[in-house]
Amino acid sequence: MKISVSKLTAPSSLAALICGTIFILSGCSQSEEDPKDQVGPNPTLPAQTQYLLPPMHVAKVIGWQNGDKPKVAEGLQIKAFATGLKHPRSVYVLPNGDVLAVESVAPPAASIKRPKDLIMGWIESMATSAGNNEGSNRITLLRDADGDGVAETKSVFLDHLASPFGVALVGSDLYVAETDKIMRYPYKTGETSIPDPGTKLTDLPGGPIDHHWTKSLVASPDGSLLYVGVGSNSNITENGIQAEMGRASIWEVDRGTGRHRIFADGLRNPNGLSWEPQTHALWAVVNERDELGPNLVPDYMTSVKEGGFYGWPYSYFGKNIDPRVMPQRPDLVAKAIVPDYALSSHVAPLGMVFYTGTSLPEAYRGGAFVGEHGSWNRHQFNGYKVVFVPFADGRPKGLPQDVVTGFLNGDNEARGRPVGLAVDKPGALLIADDVGNTVWRVSSAAP
Amino acid sequence: MVAQDLHAAPPLPPRPLHSLLIPIPMVCFLGTLATDLAYWGTAEMMWADASAWLLAVGLLFGLLAVITMIIDALGRRLSSMRGPVWLYSICNALILVLSFFNALVHSRDAWTSVVPTGLILSSVVVVLLLLSGWIRRALIYRRGPGAER
Repeated sequence: MKISVSKLTAPSSLAALICGTIFILSGCSQSEEDPKDQVGPNPTLPAQTQYLLPPMHVAKVIGWQNGDKPKVAEGLQIKAFATGLKHPRSVYVLPNGDVLAVESVAPPAASIKRPKDLIMGWIESMATSAGNNEGSNRITLLRDADGDGVAETKSVFLDHLASPFGVALVGSDLYVAETDKIMRYPYKTGETSIPDPGTKLTDLPGGPIDHHWTKSLVASPDGSLLYVGVGSNSNITENGIQAEMGRASIWEVDRGTGRHRIFADGLRNPNGLSWEPQTHALWAVVNERDELGPNLVPDYMTSVKEGGFYGWPYSYFGKNIDPRVMPQRPDLVAKAIVPDYALSSHVAPLGMVFYTGTSLPEAYRGGAFVGEHGSWNRHQFNGYKVVFVPFADGRPKGLPQDVVTGFLNGDNEARGRPVGLAVDKPGALLIADDVGNTVWRVSSAAP
Repeated sequence: MVAQDLHAAPPLPPRPLHSLLIPIPMVCFLGTLATDLAYWGTAEMMWADASAWLLAVGLLFGLLAVITMIIDALGRRLSSMRGPVWLYSICNALILVLSFFNALVHSRDAWTSVVPTGLILSSVVVVLLLLSGWIRRALIYRRGPGAER
Protein backbone atom coordinates (compact mmCIF):
# COMPACT_ATOMS: atom_id res chain seq x y z
CA MET A 1 0.00 0.00 0.00
CA LYS A 2 0.94 3.57 -0.48
CA ILE A 3 0.86 4.65 3.12
CA SER A 4 4.40 4.61 4.24
CA VAL A 5 6.01 5.26 7.57
CA SER A 6 6.91 8.77 6.54
CA LYS A 7 3.25 9.68 6.58
CA LEU A 8 3.01 8.66 10.18
CA THR A 9 5.68 11.05 11.24
CA ALA A 10 3.63 14.19 10.93
CA PRO A 11 1.34 13.51 13.89
CA SER A 12 4.00 11.91 16.04
CA SER A 13 6.53 14.64 15.40
CA LEU A 14 3.80 17.08 16.31
CA ALA A 15 3.44 15.39 19.67
CA ALA A 16 7.17 15.54 20.18
CA LEU A 17 7.19 19.19 19.22
CA ILE A 18 4.44 20.02 21.73
CA CYS A 19 6.22 18.16 24.52
CA GLY A 20 9.48 19.88 23.67
CA THR A 21 7.77 23.23 23.60
CA ILE A 22 6.33 22.77 27.06
CA PHE A 23 9.78 21.84 28.30
CA ILE A 24 11.39 24.88 26.73
CA LEU A 25 8.65 27.26 27.87
CA SER A 26 8.78 26.16 31.45
CA GLY A 27 12.53 26.17 31.60
CA CYS A 28 13.46 29.31 29.74
CA SER A 29 12.77 32.03 32.27
CA GLN A 30 14.97 30.70 35.05
CA SER A 31 17.38 33.60 35.07
CA GLU A 32 15.87 35.83 37.68
CA GLU A 33 18.09 38.65 38.78
CA ASP A 34 18.70 39.21 42.42
CA PRO A 35 15.71 41.20 43.67
CA LYS A 36 17.86 43.07 46.21
CA ASP A 37 17.86 46.23 44.12
CA GLN A 38 14.07 46.08 44.22
CA VAL A 39 13.65 47.49 47.69
CA GLY A 40 13.49 51.09 48.80
CA PRO A 41 12.15 54.25 47.20
CA ASN A 42 13.72 53.71 43.74
CA PRO A 43 13.42 50.04 42.77
CA THR A 44 14.90 48.79 39.49
CA LEU A 45 12.07 48.12 37.09
CA PRO A 46 13.17 45.72 34.33
CA ALA A 47 11.46 45.43 30.92
CA GLN A 48 8.11 43.68 30.90
CA THR A 49 7.80 39.99 30.02
CA GLN A 50 4.68 38.76 28.29
CA TYR A 51 4.68 35.11 29.23
CA LEU A 52 3.56 32.18 27.16
CA LEU A 53 3.59 30.15 30.34
CA PRO A 54 3.86 32.24 33.52
CA PRO A 55 5.84 30.70 36.38
CA MET A 56 3.42 29.12 38.84
CA HIS A 57 5.52 28.01 41.73
CA VAL A 58 3.98 27.72 45.15
CA ALA A 59 5.79 26.18 48.08
CA LYS A 60 4.29 22.84 49.05
CA VAL A 61 2.80 23.05 52.53
CA ILE A 62 4.10 20.57 55.08
CA GLY A 63 3.36 22.43 58.34
CA TRP A 64 5.51 22.67 61.48
CA GLN A 65 6.85 19.34 62.64
CA ASN A 66 8.68 18.15 65.76
CA GLY A 67 8.58 21.51 67.52
CA ASP A 68 10.20 23.36 64.60
CA LYS A 69 9.87 27.11 64.75
CA PRO A 70 10.86 30.11 62.67
CA LYS A 71 14.30 31.69 63.05
CA VAL A 72 14.55 35.18 64.48
CA ALA A 73 17.12 37.96 64.25
CA GLU A 74 19.71 38.42 66.96
CA GLY A 75 18.40 39.75 70.25
CA LEU A 76 15.00 38.16 69.75
CA GLN A 77 13.28 34.92 70.66
CA ILE A 78 10.18 33.26 69.24
CA LYS A 79 7.53 31.04 70.78
CA ALA A 80 4.25 29.63 69.57
CA PHE A 81 1.64 31.78 71.29
CA ALA A 82 -1.15 29.48 70.12
CA THR A 83 -1.26 26.45 67.85
CA GLY A 84 -3.97 24.28 66.32
CA LEU A 85 -5.82 27.23 64.84
CA LYS A 86 -7.79 27.09 61.59
CA HIS A 87 -5.97 29.20 58.99
CA PRO A 88 -5.34 32.34 61.08
CA ARG A 89 -4.97 35.35 58.76
CA SER A 90 -4.75 38.26 61.17
CA VAL A 91 -4.31 39.11 64.84
CA TYR A 92 -5.73 41.94 66.93
CA VAL A 93 -4.87 42.88 70.50
CA LEU A 94 -7.63 44.06 72.85
CA PRO A 95 -6.86 46.71 75.52
CA ASN A 96 -6.85 44.12 78.32
CA GLY A 97 -4.17 42.09 76.52
CA ASP A 98 -6.45 39.41 75.06
CA VAL A 99 -5.53 38.48 71.51
CA LEU A 100 -8.04 37.90 68.75
CA ALA A 101 -6.91 35.43 66.09
CA VAL A 102 -8.98 35.94 62.96
CA GLU A 103 -9.27 32.56 61.29
CA SER A 104 -10.40 32.92 57.75
CA VAL A 105 -10.50 31.14 54.43
CA ALA A 106 -11.22 32.49 50.95
CA PRO A 107 -14.89 32.84 49.99
CA PRO A 108 -16.31 30.29 47.52
CA ALA A 109 -14.62 30.63 44.15
CA ALA A 110 -16.45 32.45 41.40
CA SER A 111 -17.71 30.48 38.42
CA ILE A 112 -15.05 29.38 35.95
CA LYS A 113 -14.73 32.04 33.28
CA ARG A 114 -11.98 30.62 31.11
CA PRO A 115 -9.73 27.54 30.92
CA LYS A 116 -7.01 29.35 32.91
CA ASP A 117 -9.33 29.57 35.95
CA LEU A 118 -9.35 25.77 36.14
CA ILE A 119 -5.55 25.61 36.22
CA MET A 120 -5.12 28.54 38.60
CA GLY A 121 -7.68 27.07 41.00
CA TRP A 122 -5.69 23.89 41.14
CA ILE A 123 -2.40 25.73 41.74
CA GLU A 124 -3.93 27.85 44.49
CA SER A 125 -5.34 24.82 46.25
CA MET A 126 -1.75 23.67 46.74
CA ALA A 127 -0.87 26.91 48.52
CA THR A 128 -3.48 26.69 51.23
CA SER A 129 -3.19 24.95 54.53
CA ALA A 130 -2.15 21.35 54.73
CA GLY A 131 -4.74 20.79 57.41
CA ASN A 132 -8.48 20.71 57.24
CA ASN A 133 -9.85 24.24 57.35
CA GLU A 134 -13.40 23.31 58.21
CA GLY A 135 -14.56 25.41 61.14
CA SER A 136 -12.54 28.41 60.04
CA ASN A 137 -14.17 31.81 59.37
CA ARG A 138 -14.37 32.64 63.02
CA ILE A 139 -12.47 34.68 65.59
CA THR A 140 -10.77 32.92 68.48
CA LEU A 141 -9.88 34.75 71.67
CA LEU A 142 -6.47 33.80 73.07
CA ARG A 143 -5.60 34.71 76.65
CA ASP A 144 -2.20 34.54 78.29
CA ALA A 145 -3.16 35.22 81.91
CA ASP A 146 0.14 34.22 83.50
CA GLY A 147 2.22 36.26 81.07
CA ASP A 148 4.55 33.45 80.01
CA GLY A 149 4.08 34.25 76.33
CA VAL A 150 1.83 31.29 75.63
CA ALA A 151 -1.96 31.48 75.61
CA GLU A 152 -3.52 29.09 78.09
CA THR A 153 -7.12 29.61 77.08
CA LYS A 154 -8.66 29.60 73.66
CA SER A 155 -12.33 30.46 73.20
CA VAL A 156 -14.53 30.96 70.20
CA PHE A 157 -15.17 34.70 70.27
CA LEU A 158 -17.27 35.07 67.11
CA ASP A 159 -18.27 32.29 64.78
CA HIS A 160 -19.80 31.72 61.33
CA LEU A 161 -18.33 34.83 59.74
CA ALA A 162 -17.89 35.49 56.02
CA SER A 163 -14.12 35.41 55.43
CA PRO A 164 -13.28 37.98 58.14
CA PHE A 165 -9.95 39.82 58.23
CA GLY A 166 -9.85 43.28 59.80
CA VAL A 167 -10.85 44.06 63.39
CA ALA A 168 -11.03 47.45 65.13
CA LEU A 169 -12.25 48.34 68.58
CA VAL A 170 -13.55 51.86 69.25
CA GLY A 171 -14.75 52.32 72.81
CA SER A 172 -17.05 49.37 73.36
CA ASP A 173 -17.86 48.92 69.66
CA LEU A 174 -16.01 46.08 68.03
CA TYR A 175 -15.91 46.26 64.23
CA VAL A 176 -15.20 43.20 62.13
CA ALA A 177 -14.53 43.54 58.41
CA GLU A 178 -15.88 40.46 56.73
CA THR A 179 -15.28 40.15 53.02
CA ASP A 180 -18.70 41.55 52.12
CA LYS A 181 -19.59 43.86 55.04
CA ILE A 182 -18.51 45.59 58.24
CA MET A 183 -20.26 44.30 61.35
CA ARG A 184 -20.46 46.03 64.72
CA TYR A 185 -20.62 44.07 67.97
CA PRO A 186 -20.92 45.31 71.57
CA TYR A 187 -17.78 44.32 73.50
CA LYS A 188 -17.30 44.28 77.26
CA THR A 189 -13.78 44.12 78.62
CA GLY A 190 -12.84 40.61 79.63
CA GLU A 191 -15.49 38.86 77.53
CA THR A 192 -14.36 35.65 75.91
CA SER A 193 -17.23 35.42 73.46
CA ILE A 194 -19.83 37.76 72.03
CA PRO A 195 -23.35 36.34 71.99
CA ASP A 196 -24.85 39.39 70.24
CA PRO A 197 -25.60 38.78 66.55
CA GLY A 198 -24.19 42.21 65.70
CA THR A 199 -25.36 45.02 63.44
CA LYS A 200 -24.28 45.65 59.87
CA LEU A 201 -22.57 49.02 59.45
CA THR A 202 -22.13 48.86 55.69
CA ASP A 203 -21.78 46.46 52.78
CA LEU A 204 -18.38 45.99 51.18
CA PRO A 205 -17.65 44.70 47.65
CA GLY A 206 -17.83 40.90 47.99
CA GLY A 207 -18.93 38.13 45.61
CA PRO A 208 -19.83 36.61 43.26
CA ILE A 209 -16.33 37.37 42.03
CA ASP A 210 -14.21 38.15 45.11
CA HIS A 211 -10.63 37.89 43.92
CA HIS A 212 -8.79 39.84 46.64
CA TRP A 213 -11.03 39.19 49.59
CA THR A 214 -9.11 40.34 52.69
CA LYS A 215 -10.60 43.56 54.08
CA SER A 216 -8.06 45.28 56.27
CA LEU A 217 -9.56 47.65 58.87
CA VAL A 218 -8.33 50.50 61.06
CA ALA A 219 -10.14 53.24 62.98
CA SER A 220 -9.08 56.87 62.80
CA PRO A 221 -7.23 58.06 65.92
CA ASP A 222 -10.31 59.99 67.09
CA GLY A 223 -12.50 56.96 66.45
CA SER A 224 -15.01 58.69 64.17
CA LEU A 225 -13.99 57.04 60.89
CA LEU A 226 -13.03 53.59 59.74
CA TYR A 227 -10.58 52.88 56.91
CA VAL A 228 -11.04 49.69 54.93
CA GLY A 229 -8.74 48.14 52.35
CA VAL A 230 -10.73 46.80 49.41
CA GLY A 231 -8.58 44.78 46.99
CA SER A 232 -9.08 44.55 43.23
CA ASN A 233 -11.25 41.88 41.68
CA SER A 234 -8.62 40.56 39.28
CA ASN A 235 -4.93 40.53 38.52
CA ILE A 236 -5.24 43.14 35.82
CA THR A 237 -8.91 43.70 34.84
CA GLU A 238 -9.32 40.26 33.24
CA ASN A 239 -12.70 39.93 34.93
CA GLY A 240 -13.88 43.07 33.19
CA ILE A 241 -13.64 46.64 34.42
CA GLN A 242 -17.24 46.40 35.65
CA ALA A 243 -16.09 43.96 38.35
CA GLU A 244 -13.81 46.65 39.81
CA MET A 245 -16.48 49.06 41.05
CA GLY A 246 -15.38 50.42 44.43
CA ARG A 247 -12.34 48.15 44.48
CA ALA A 248 -8.56 48.57 44.48
CA SER A 249 -9.11 51.36 46.97
CA ILE A 250 -9.21 52.37 50.58
CA TRP A 251 -12.67 53.28 51.79
CA GLU A 252 -13.35 55.82 54.49
CA VAL A 253 -16.49 54.80 56.38
CA ASP A 254 -18.39 57.01 58.78
CA ARG A 255 -18.68 55.01 61.97
CA GLY A 256 -22.02 56.51 62.91
CA THR A 257 -23.94 56.28 59.66
CA GLY A 258 -22.06 53.73 57.57
CA ARG A 259 -21.75 56.19 54.69
CA HIS A 260 -18.55 55.77 52.78
CA ARG A 261 -16.35 57.45 50.21
CA ILE A 262 -13.22 56.38 48.36
CA PHE A 263 -10.30 57.78 50.37
CA ALA A 264 -7.63 56.72 47.85
CA ASP A 265 -7.55 54.33 44.90
CA GLY A 266 -5.36 52.62 42.34
CA LEU A 267 -4.13 50.37 45.18
CA ARG A 268 -4.37 46.84 43.82
CA ASN A 269 -4.60 44.99 47.13
CA PRO A 270 -4.04 47.21 50.17
CA ASN A 271 -3.57 45.57 53.56
CA GLY A 272 -2.02 46.24 56.93
CA LEU A 273 -3.61 49.67 57.26
CA SER A 274 -1.87 51.48 60.14
CA TRP A 275 -1.02 54.94 61.42
CA GLU A 276 2.59 56.02 61.27
CA PRO A 277 3.28 57.03 64.88
CA GLN A 278 5.20 60.27 64.19
CA THR A 279 3.31 61.88 61.32
CA HIS A 280 -0.02 60.11 62.01
CA ALA A 281 -0.29 59.41 58.27
CA LEU A 282 -2.20 56.36 57.06
CA TRP A 283 0.12 53.66 55.68
CA ALA A 284 -0.62 50.44 53.82
CA VAL A 285 1.22 47.54 52.24
CA VAL A 286 0.08 46.81 48.69
CA ASN A 287 0.28 43.67 46.55
CA GLU A 288 1.10 44.65 43.00
CA ARG A 289 0.25 42.88 39.73
CA ASP A 290 1.54 39.54 38.44
CA GLU A 291 2.61 38.04 35.12
CA LEU A 292 4.87 40.83 33.90
CA GLY A 293 8.10 39.11 34.95
CA PRO A 294 9.85 37.72 38.03
CA ASN A 295 10.93 41.22 39.05
CA LEU A 296 7.78 43.10 38.15
CA VAL A 297 5.92 44.63 39.77
CA PRO A 298 7.48 45.33 43.19
CA ASP A 299 4.97 45.19 46.03
CA TYR A 300 5.26 48.23 48.23
CA MET A 301 4.41 50.10 51.39
CA THR A 302 3.26 53.66 51.16
CA SER A 303 1.70 56.52 52.99
CA VAL A 304 -1.77 56.97 51.55
CA LYS A 305 -2.75 60.46 50.53
CA GLU A 306 -6.36 61.53 50.59
CA GLY A 307 -7.73 61.42 47.04
CA GLY A 308 -4.48 59.84 45.84
CA PHE A 309 -4.35 57.54 42.81
CA TYR A 310 -1.60 54.91 42.91
CA GLY A 311 -1.80 53.51 39.38
CA TRP A 312 -3.74 50.26 39.32
CA PRO A 313 -4.74 49.08 36.80
CA TYR A 314 -3.43 51.57 34.27
CA SER A 315 0.13 52.02 35.49
CA TYR A 316 2.56 50.88 38.18
CA PHE A 317 5.15 52.63 40.32
CA GLY A 318 4.05 55.95 38.98
CA LYS A 319 3.61 56.25 35.26
CA ASN A 320 4.82 52.85 33.95
CA ILE A 321 1.96 51.83 31.68
CA ASP A 322 0.53 48.32 31.80
CA PRO A 323 -0.32 47.33 28.22
CA ARG A 324 -2.85 44.75 29.35
CA VAL A 325 -5.47 47.33 30.25
CA MET A 326 -7.84 48.60 27.58
CA PRO A 327 -9.12 51.24 27.28
CA GLN A 328 -6.17 53.05 28.78
CA ARG A 329 -6.53 56.19 30.85
CA PRO A 330 -3.65 58.63 30.26
CA ASP A 331 -5.53 61.21 32.34
CA LEU A 332 -5.31 58.97 35.41
CA VAL A 333 -1.76 57.81 34.67
CA ALA A 334 -0.69 61.46 34.60
CA LYS A 335 -1.63 61.85 38.25
CA ALA A 336 -0.43 58.44 39.48
CA ILE A 337 1.55 58.76 42.72
CA VAL A 338 4.87 56.90 43.05
CA PRO A 339 4.63 54.74 46.19
CA ASP A 340 7.07 55.47 49.02
CA TYR A 341 8.96 52.23 49.43
CA ALA A 342 9.26 49.04 47.35
CA LEU A 343 9.41 45.67 49.11
CA SER A 344 10.54 43.56 46.09
CA SER A 345 8.35 41.72 43.58
CA HIS A 346 5.78 39.05 44.44
CA VAL A 347 6.62 38.98 48.18
CA ALA A 348 2.90 39.45 48.91
CA PRO A 349 2.88 41.71 51.97
CA LEU A 350 -0.40 41.10 53.81
CA GLY A 351 0.37 42.49 57.24
CA MET A 352 2.06 45.56 58.68
CA VAL A 353 2.42 47.05 62.12
CA PHE A 354 4.40 50.02 63.41
CA TYR A 355 6.34 49.22 66.52
CA THR A 356 5.28 51.56 69.31
CA GLY A 357 6.09 49.21 72.16
CA THR A 358 9.21 49.38 74.31
CA SER A 359 10.11 45.78 75.16
CA LEU A 360 11.82 44.86 71.87
CA PRO A 361 15.38 46.13 71.26
CA GLU A 362 15.73 49.87 70.73
CA ALA A 363 16.41 49.53 66.98
CA TYR A 364 12.83 48.42 66.30
CA ARG A 365 11.13 51.44 67.82
CA GLY A 366 9.18 53.56 65.41
CA GLY A 367 9.76 51.31 62.41
CA ALA A 368 7.39 48.91 60.69
CA PHE A 369 7.21 45.13 60.61
CA VAL A 370 5.86 43.65 57.38
CA GLY A 371 4.50 40.11 56.97
CA GLU A 372 5.39 38.74 53.53
CA HIS A 373 3.16 35.82 52.66
CA GLY A 374 5.45 34.75 49.79
CA SER A 375 5.56 34.48 46.01
CA TRP A 376 3.93 32.20 43.46
CA ASN A 377 4.72 34.01 40.20
CA ARG A 378 8.49 33.48 40.07
CA HIS A 379 10.73 30.42 40.10
CA GLN A 380 12.84 31.49 43.04
CA PHE A 381 10.76 32.10 46.12
CA ASN A 382 10.61 35.64 47.43
CA GLY A 383 9.08 36.73 50.71
CA TYR A 384 7.93 33.99 53.10
CA LYS A 385 9.29 36.04 56.00
CA VAL A 386 8.71 39.00 58.30
CA VAL A 387 10.92 42.02 57.62
CA PHE A 388 11.53 45.22 59.53
CA VAL A 389 11.70 48.59 57.79
CA PRO A 390 13.40 51.26 59.92
CA PHE A 391 11.76 54.69 59.97
CA ALA A 392 13.11 58.15 60.75
CA ASP A 393 11.00 61.30 60.82
CA GLY A 394 8.00 59.40 59.58
CA ARG A 395 9.74 58.04 56.44
CA PRO A 396 11.39 54.67 55.80
CA LYS A 397 15.13 54.90 56.21
CA GLY A 398 17.47 52.13 55.10
CA LEU A 399 16.96 48.62 53.79
CA PRO A 400 14.44 46.11 55.12
CA GLN A 401 15.95 43.63 57.59
CA ASP A 402 14.93 40.00 57.91
CA VAL A 403 13.42 39.57 61.36
CA VAL A 404 11.59 36.25 61.20
CA THR A 405 12.61 33.63 58.61
CA GLY A 406 12.59 29.85 58.31
CA PHE A 407 9.01 29.61 57.11
CA LEU A 408 10.48 27.63 54.20
CA ASN A 409 12.66 24.65 55.05
CA GLY A 410 15.85 23.67 53.21
CA ASP A 411 13.83 21.87 50.54
CA ASN A 412 11.71 24.97 49.92
CA GLU A 413 8.66 23.41 51.50
CA ALA A 414 6.41 25.75 53.48
CA ARG A 415 6.23 25.03 57.17
CA GLY A 416 4.23 28.21 57.55
CA ARG A 417 3.48 31.52 55.85
CA PRO A 418 3.25 34.82 57.74
CA VAL A 419 0.23 37.06 57.22
CA GLY A 420 -1.17 39.62 59.68
CA LEU A 421 0.88 41.22 62.46
CA ALA A 422 0.15 42.95 65.76
CA VAL A 423 2.00 44.12 68.85
CA ASP A 424 0.65 42.70 72.10
CA LYS A 425 0.24 44.49 75.40
CA PRO A 426 3.71 43.64 76.76
CA GLY A 427 5.18 44.85 73.44
CA ALA A 428 5.97 41.58 71.66
CA LEU A 429 5.31 41.04 67.96
CA LEU A 430 2.50 38.62 67.09
CA ILE A 431 2.43 36.88 63.70
CA ALA A 432 -0.55 35.06 62.21
CA ASP A 433 0.79 32.03 60.29
CA ASP A 434 -2.07 30.80 58.12
CA VAL A 435 -0.76 27.54 56.69
CA GLY A 436 1.16 26.78 59.89
CA ASN A 437 -2.09 27.30 61.86
CA THR A 438 -0.11 29.10 64.54
CA VAL A 439 0.20 32.53 66.14
CA TRP A 440 3.88 33.24 66.82
CA ARG A 441 5.14 35.63 69.46
CA VAL A 442 8.48 37.39 69.02
CA SER A 443 9.96 39.00 72.13
CA SER A 444 13.35 40.17 73.30
CA ALA A 445 15.80 37.37 73.97
CA ALA A 446 16.37 36.80 77.66
CA PRO A 447 19.54 38.69 78.64
CA MET B 1 -22.14 -16.54 -13.97
CA VAL B 2 -19.75 -13.71 -14.22
CA ALA B 3 -22.18 -11.04 -15.50
CA GLN B 4 -23.15 -10.04 -11.94
CA ASP B 5 -19.56 -9.48 -11.03
CA LEU B 6 -19.13 -7.20 -13.97
CA HIS B 7 -21.92 -4.96 -12.73
CA ALA B 8 -20.77 -4.89 -9.14
CA ALA B 9 -19.19 -1.63 -7.95
CA PRO B 10 -15.53 -1.93 -7.18
CA PRO B 11 -15.00 -2.29 -3.40
CA LEU B 12 -14.64 1.11 -1.67
CA PRO B 13 -11.84 1.49 0.83
CA PRO B 14 -13.15 2.43 4.27
CA ARG B 15 -13.67 6.16 4.87
CA PRO B 16 -11.01 7.83 7.00
CA LEU B 17 -12.13 8.09 10.64
CA HIS B 18 -10.51 11.44 11.19
CA SER B 19 -12.93 13.03 8.75
CA LEU B 20 -15.55 12.83 11.49
CA LEU B 21 -13.49 14.90 13.94
CA ILE B 22 -11.78 17.40 11.70
CA PRO B 23 -14.77 19.77 11.38
CA ILE B 24 -14.76 20.44 15.16
CA PRO B 25 -11.32 22.08 15.43
CA MET B 26 -12.01 23.79 12.10
CA VAL B 27 -15.12 25.47 13.43
CA CYS B 28 -13.45 26.27 16.77
CA PHE B 29 -10.42 27.92 15.19
CA LEU B 30 -12.59 29.87 12.75
CA GLY B 31 -14.66 30.95 15.72
CA THR B 32 -11.53 32.05 17.57
CA LEU B 33 -10.75 34.57 14.86
CA ALA B 34 -14.32 35.86 15.02
CA THR B 35 -14.30 36.30 18.80
CA ASP B 36 -10.77 37.76 18.71
CA LEU B 37 -11.99 40.37 16.24
CA ALA B 38 -14.95 41.07 18.50
CA TYR B 39 -12.61 41.58 21.47
CA TRP B 40 -10.33 43.79 19.40
CA GLY B 41 -13.30 45.94 18.56
CA THR B 42 -14.97 46.08 21.98
CA ALA B 43 -12.33 45.30 24.67
CA GLU B 44 -15.15 43.28 26.25
CA MET B 45 -13.59 40.39 28.20
CA MET B 46 -16.44 38.05 27.28
CA TRP B 47 -15.02 37.76 23.76
CA ALA B 48 -11.48 37.05 24.91
CA ASP B 49 -12.83 34.36 27.25
CA ALA B 50 -14.82 32.87 24.36
CA SER B 51 -11.63 32.72 22.27
CA ALA B 52 -9.82 30.89 25.08
CA TRP B 53 -12.57 28.27 25.30
CA LEU B 54 -12.74 27.83 21.53
CA LEU B 55 -8.99 27.27 21.41
CA ALA B 56 -9.13 24.76 24.27
CA VAL B 57 -11.95 22.75 22.70
CA GLY B 58 -10.37 23.02 19.24
CA LEU B 59 -7.06 21.71 20.55
CA LEU B 60 -8.74 18.85 22.40
CA PHE B 61 -10.59 17.65 19.31
CA GLY B 62 -7.60 18.44 17.13
CA LEU B 63 -5.57 16.07 19.27
CA LEU B 64 -8.28 13.40 18.95
CA ALA B 65 -8.21 13.96 15.20
CA VAL B 66 -4.46 13.36 15.18
CA ILE B 67 -4.96 10.11 17.08
CA THR B 68 -7.63 8.92 14.65
CA MET B 69 -5.41 9.96 11.75
CA ILE B 70 -2.73 7.66 13.12
CA ILE B 71 -5.33 4.91 13.39
CA ASP B 72 -6.37 5.68 9.82
CA ALA B 73 -2.79 5.39 8.69
CA LEU B 74 -2.26 2.12 10.54
CA GLY B 75 -5.56 0.71 9.22
CA ARG B 76 -4.72 1.95 5.77
CA ARG B 77 -7.87 3.99 5.61
CA LEU B 78 -6.03 6.91 4.15
CA SER B 79 -5.80 4.97 0.91
CA SER B 80 -8.95 6.66 -0.25
CA MET B 81 -6.83 9.80 -0.38
CA ARG B 82 -4.54 10.15 -3.28
CA GLY B 83 -1.70 12.50 -3.80
CA PRO B 84 0.38 14.57 -1.40
CA VAL B 85 -1.06 13.37 1.90
CA TRP B 86 2.13 14.66 3.57
CA LEU B 87 1.25 18.20 2.57
CA TYR B 88 -2.14 17.79 4.18
CA SER B 89 -0.56 16.38 7.37
CA ILE B 90 1.99 19.16 7.65
CA CYS B 91 -0.67 21.78 7.17
CA ASN B 92 -2.80 20.27 9.94
CA ALA B 93 0.19 19.86 12.23
CA LEU B 94 1.04 23.52 11.73
CA ILE B 95 -2.54 24.51 12.58
CA LEU B 96 -2.35 22.59 15.85
CA VAL B 97 1.09 23.87 16.83
CA LEU B 98 0.15 27.49 16.14
CA SER B 99 -3.14 27.06 17.97
CA PHE B 100 -1.30 25.59 20.94
CA PHE B 101 0.85 28.71 21.13
CA ASN B 102 -2.26 30.78 20.56
CA ALA B 103 -3.91 29.12 23.57
CA LEU B 104 -0.89 30.07 25.70
CA VAL B 105 -1.07 33.64 24.44
CA HIS B 106 -4.79 33.65 25.22
CA SER B 107 -4.05 32.57 28.79
CA ARG B 108 -2.55 36.00 29.46
CA ASP B 109 -4.70 38.52 31.26
CA ALA B 110 -6.83 41.06 29.39
CA TRP B 111 -5.77 43.05 26.30
CA THR B 112 -2.46 41.37 25.41
CA SER B 113 -4.10 37.95 25.55
CA VAL B 114 -5.48 38.86 22.13
CA VAL B 115 -3.92 42.01 20.71
CA PRO B 116 -1.76 41.76 18.74
CA THR B 117 -0.13 38.29 18.98
CA GLY B 118 -3.29 36.26 19.55
CA LEU B 119 -5.12 37.98 16.74
CA ILE B 120 -2.22 37.40 14.32
CA LEU B 121 -1.99 33.71 15.23
CA SER B 122 -5.76 33.26 14.88
CA SER B 123 -5.63 34.84 11.43
CA VAL B 124 -2.71 32.70 10.24
CA VAL B 125 -4.49 29.59 11.49
CA VAL B 126 -7.62 30.48 9.52
CA VAL B 127 -5.55 30.89 6.34
CA LEU B 128 -3.99 27.47 6.99
CA LEU B 129 -7.46 26.00 7.63
CA LEU B 130 -8.61 27.17 4.22
CA LEU B 131 -5.48 25.73 2.68
CA SER B 132 -5.92 22.43 4.50
CA GLY B 133 -9.56 22.19 3.44
CA TRP B 134 -8.64 22.85 -0.13
CA ILE B 135 -5.89 20.20 -0.12
CA ARG B 136 -8.23 17.68 1.51
CA ARG B 137 -10.89 18.27 -1.08
CA ALA B 138 -8.34 17.88 -3.81
CA LEU B 139 -7.03 14.65 -2.32
CA ILE B 140 -10.42 12.99 -1.77
CA TYR B 141 -12.00 13.92 -5.05
CA ARG B 142 -8.97 13.04 -7.08
CA ARG B 143 -9.63 10.41 -9.68
CA GLY B 144 -8.31 7.04 -8.82
CA PRO B 145 -9.41 3.59 -7.76
CA GLY B 146 -11.72 3.76 -4.81
CA ALA B 147 -12.73 7.32 -5.44
CA GLU B 148 -15.58 8.53 -7.58
CA ARG B 149 -15.63 7.49 -11.18
